[in-house]
Amino acid sequence: MAVKGKVLIVEDDRAISNFIRRVLEANGYEALMVNTGREANSMLSSHCPDLVILDLGLPDMDGMEVLRSLRRWSLMPVVVVSARTDEREKVSALDAGADDYITKPFGTSELLARIRTAIRHTRTTGGSETIARSSRFTARGLVIDYDKYRVYIDGRDANLTQNEFKLVALLGRYAGRVLTYDYLIREIWGPNKAYDNQILRVNMANIRRKIEKNPGEPEYIFTEVGVGYRMIEAD
Amino acid sequence: MKDVLRYLRDALIPRRQSRGEIVRDLGITLALLAAAALLCAGLNVVGESDSAVPLVFVLAVLLTARFTDGYFYGLFATIASVFGVNYAFTYPYFEFNFSLTGYPLTTVTMFAVSLVVGMLTEQVKRQSRIQAEAEREKMKANLLRSVSHDLRTPLTAIIGSSTVVLEHYDALSDEEKKELVWQVRDDAQGLVRLVENILSITRINDGAVQLKKSPEAAEEIAAEAVNKFRKNHTMPVRVCVPDELLMVPMDAMLIEQVLGNLMENVVIHARDATAIELSISCTRDGQVRFCVEDDGRGIDAEILPRLFEELFPHAQEANADGRRSMGIGLSACMSIVKAHGGHMYAENRQQGGARVCFELPLEEVNDGGEGQGADRRG
Repeated sequence: MAVKGKVLIVEDDRAISNFIRRVLEANGYEALMVNTGREANSMLSSHCPDLVILDLGLPDMDGMEVLRSLRRWSLMPVVVVSARTDEREKVSALDAGADDYITKPFGTSELLARIRTAIRHTRTTGGSETIARSSRFTARGLVIDYDKYRVYIDGRDANLTQNEFKLVALLGRYAGRVLTYDYLIREIWGPNKAYDNQILRVNMANIRRKIEKNPGEPEYIFTEVGVGYRMIEAD
Repeated sequence: MKDVLRYLRDALIPRRQSRGEIVRDLGITLALLAAAALLCAGLNVVGESDSAVPLVFVLAVLLTARFTDGYFYGLFATIASVFGVNYAFTYPYFEFNFSLTGYPLTTVTMFAVSLVVGMLTEQVKRQSRIQAEAEREKMKANLLRSVSHDLRTPLTAIIGSSTVVLEHYDALSDEEKKELVWQVRDDAQGLVRLVENILSITRINDGAVQLKKSPEAAEEIAAEAVNKFRKNHTMPVRVCVPDELLMVPMDAMLIEQVLGNLMENVVIHARDATAIELSISCTRDGQVRFCVEDDGRGIDAEILPRLFEELFPHAQEANADGRRSMGIGLSACMSIVKAHGGHMYAENRQQGGARVCFELPLEEVNDGGEGQGADRRG
């Protein structure tokens, strides 16, 4: 099996980093492991991995420091591992340049999905390859046509308004990745509307009523409570 | 000047008051003084003698000291009364004259009344604080008992299952090994939830952590709770949300946890349940109701009325089927919903099965400034 990429695991707990390594190796990735922030810093510059899995709670320094110093010289994808209770931590890690996060305790399928998405997005900056090639995003019954500014659901036009389309289009470009409330609001309504979550929720509720069969059981756009929204991955 | 004021405040107010409390206490003080002044003016008009005036003001001072926090307002009322009575209600009217016979006595009496009543009030308040403290201690002891039971059981199972696999690796069939490993995984997952619930209960009941309330779309939280539930369970869930978007002020993580607990509860406890229905609706009195229903055999009539009464009522009872008790899960739900100013109830459905609901206020309730201004910026 060809190596899909080199992943650096920065995690101080042996049991967890061992389990992550096994999952990665079983799925064709090459895994490197370090347990401290200092080692992480030196490994990052000497090995240039394709992706970093970064636990924020490290023994010698705050994981956020590792992230910030990495972002000064590299755009390599970073998936942050965080504890469940703190959404603020996740948001600030995303703001500081993390590509995605995963919450402890996590399953292997979730972990692999995050890694796949993060690696794919760096290879084609700002969107997936298929969108760049065909200007279309397809996931199950959902089609976003970037040329015609239309969203189709099971072949029918979903009749989204302009802002609704912008939202869906943005989520589609970063499918599989969580986009924070702040980021979405800034991108769609500009910086002046920052912190007005209500406008975003209302638009999202309307979108759900147009594209989901049951807005209470969404198939396409999921909520990451306290953080933002995530579109399912393309077919 | 500022320092003097701060010193005075610290000396007179036993604990820092929030702005709302200061406004309330100041309001009480001024209202009582105004009422006393009006009463005296009235007495004056009908020609009563001035002798009743000090008594009326002593009463006002007493009531002020009783219904406000700390000594400050009582003393403030005293000083205001002393000057007010002297100025307005004793001869010569509308000028100060402190050389009147007996006037120092009136003053001293008022000060004494205000101090003594203030002290008594403080004592009563301290007593109730001690009582609340004792109740919390009792709750903590109950929690510890439940926790040690609920922790030991799955841990014993985990150690047991994994030991069997390790020690009898060759004797077990692949199927048996798989089953034991699944058992370990399920028990560990149960422990994760248990820990979350314990954290929520202690965090909320200690009052150490404020709720991070912000307006959230009820449907999104329900959808997320169901999404997580489906990762670990196969029981089908149907979700019903209203057409209108309901924005509810809440700590989203905690409400998601409540919904998760209630669905989990169905899987573990509802006998013969085959499906769950989660619905959100708006009640007539402006609350948002979340309901989790199942089609099982319902809740026993004996348990139903006291399901939410006591904290941890079922933890000590041995479960007939040997599965984990839901005592802590339900307690966590109760604590979370209560902290949101909501309430919870359970009933059996006419068509069979149980329905557990909780209602949250749509508008932000002002419960002593809790969780305000803590909007989460995503």
